[in-house]
Amino acid sequence: MQIELQSLIPAAIFSNSGNVLLAVILLLSIVVALSGVVNLYSRKPAWQKITTGMIIAISLLFIGGFLWISWFHWQIYRNLPLELPENLMGWVNRQLDNMNRSSSYGMPLYDPANPPRYKIPLWIENEKYYFWFMCYAIMALIVHLRLQNHRFRAFLHLFLALQVAILYFWVNPFIEPLPKFFNEIGPWYAAEQSVMHKAGYFMRLYPKMIFYYNAEYMWFHPPLLFISYGSITITFITSVFMLFKRDLLLEKIGYQYAKLGFFMLTLGMLLGYPWALKAWGPNWWWDPKICSSLIMWAVFSTYLHTRLYANKKSMWYFTSILGIICFFAMIFTFLTSFYFPGEHTFQ
Amino acid sequence: MKLKNSYDFYLILATTIVLFAICLISIYGMFYFKFAQIHQMAPAVKILYMNRMNTIIAPFVVCLILLLGICVPKRLLPTSWLNRVTLLLLAGAILTWLGWGGRASLFFILAASFILQAAVFFLAVSGSKNLHFHKKGYWVRLGSSLIHMGLILFVLDLLLYEKKTLHLSLFWITTGTSVLGMIFSFYAESVVGLISGKQNVPEENM
Repeated sequence: MQIELQSLIPAAIFSNSGNVLLAVILLLSIVVALSGVVNLYSRKPAWQKITTGMIIAISLLFIGGFLWISWFHWQIYRNLPLELPENLMGWVNRQLDNMNRSSSYGMPLYDPANPPRYKIPLWIENEKYYFWFMCYAIMALIVHLRLQNHRFRAFLHLFLALQVAILYFWVNPFIEPLPKFFNEIGPWYAAEQSVMHKAGYFMRLYPKMIFYYNAEYMWFHPPLLFISYGSITITFITSVFMLFKRDLLLEKIGYQYAKLGFFMLTLGMLLGYPWALKAWGPNWWWDPKICSSLIMWAVFSTYLHTRLYANKKSMWYFTSILGIICFFAMIFTFLTSFYFPGEHTFQ
Repeated sequence: MKLKNSYDFYLILATTIVLFAICLISIYGMFYFKFAQIHQMAPAVKILYMNRMNTIIAPFVVCLILLLGICVPKRLLPTSWLNRVTLLLLAGAILTWLGWGGRASLFFILAASFILQAAVFFLAVSGSKNLHFHKKGYWVRLGSSLIHMGLILFVLDLLLYEKKTLHLSLFWITTGTSVLGMIFSFYAESVVGLISGKQNVPEENM
């Protein structure tokens, strides 16, 4: 992070405290994972009370970390406005006015009394993984408290530990907070810039602020989908167990989370549509991300339909396999943004 | 009764097959987009790609809406009439396709399905016993009607994308319909509990 930015926002405090919190979550998760391995192979449940306490602690720490991320974003909102020098305001507003005349979706004109500020949602860059895994942690806790099956709980715990490990070692949001965002805005805060440099940076940063960072849909589309991903993971675990045991309570829980997942997925996808029209214009249909999302939705839809006949033996197994395919379709959809080009790419 | 259950079952299998075909087309589209580098191409090439994919998927979308059109009247009509309604819809779809093209055919199917679904919806609202839904709960029936209506409206809305204001307005109606449908269908017991003020609602016969 540039030195000028470091003096404006408390990134170091955020980063150091966040890393400590995540390290504690990781330690607890390692213990929970060990308990998971023991319980998978053990005929009798072991260490259930201890792991219950640890799962509760992990969930609470996740929530605490999320509040900590919220505080950091509040600091960005307060301390990083895009303030223009007086001699540029008129020129910028003329450019914005010209752009707005030829566009369906305009940008607000610059107001010196109220300079534009970043209202960055809490799930961009690596923070999206934090939110996703936090959703799973809370759902895993709820399911853990509902089901007494120690082997099923073990599976839940192992998945949780895997996600925490991925978060800590690979996609840690605290080590270098929001690197892409700060790289983008860093030049704005560099010292001794010419007026035209400043104008150019503003015309690059402002549209992205309006149509991406501050877009109202950013507060709904991603979190709904990540809640869906957490639910699909629970349904996946129940589906795996359904292949080995006809347990109606297990199937009922899997179905409850499948309904929640489908609801969030459908609503999240629907809310992405008007945003895409606004940000990308009309010609983005058949983008790889859209295709993969359709696949996931179709598989999920099929699962919910076939579940109506889950009392038939063959449909019980077919439904379970579909629940498993749903999970892999979700992973495939998520990875699409990394390996396929298009409007929705992270490349 | 057994025949009706079989009919439902085979309808669901047919829906599964059509959705599977749509998935395969989507996978093809993704890899074609990547290897042909469509994203780097001129807008005219992008539009050509989109139109080609629309042409490939159109028959399967028609099949899906046709299946929905069959699924809907089975809640209104006895089994003996179902085949006639199916043939009628299919004949109408083929005739309009031959006479006025694929888009008109899709409009016909969507319009017919919407009218039928609207009829089912009003019957569901009034609590009719003529419906042959799999689950008999009032809110589940209502929710199912709304979800299917939402899907029909969504596909119809896509066909109207050139009329911007109507397109977006219809889109929000579709979203509201689908959301309400999912709430009623998936959380019927909670809805009943909220309305009747009871905490424990007995499980309905499924």
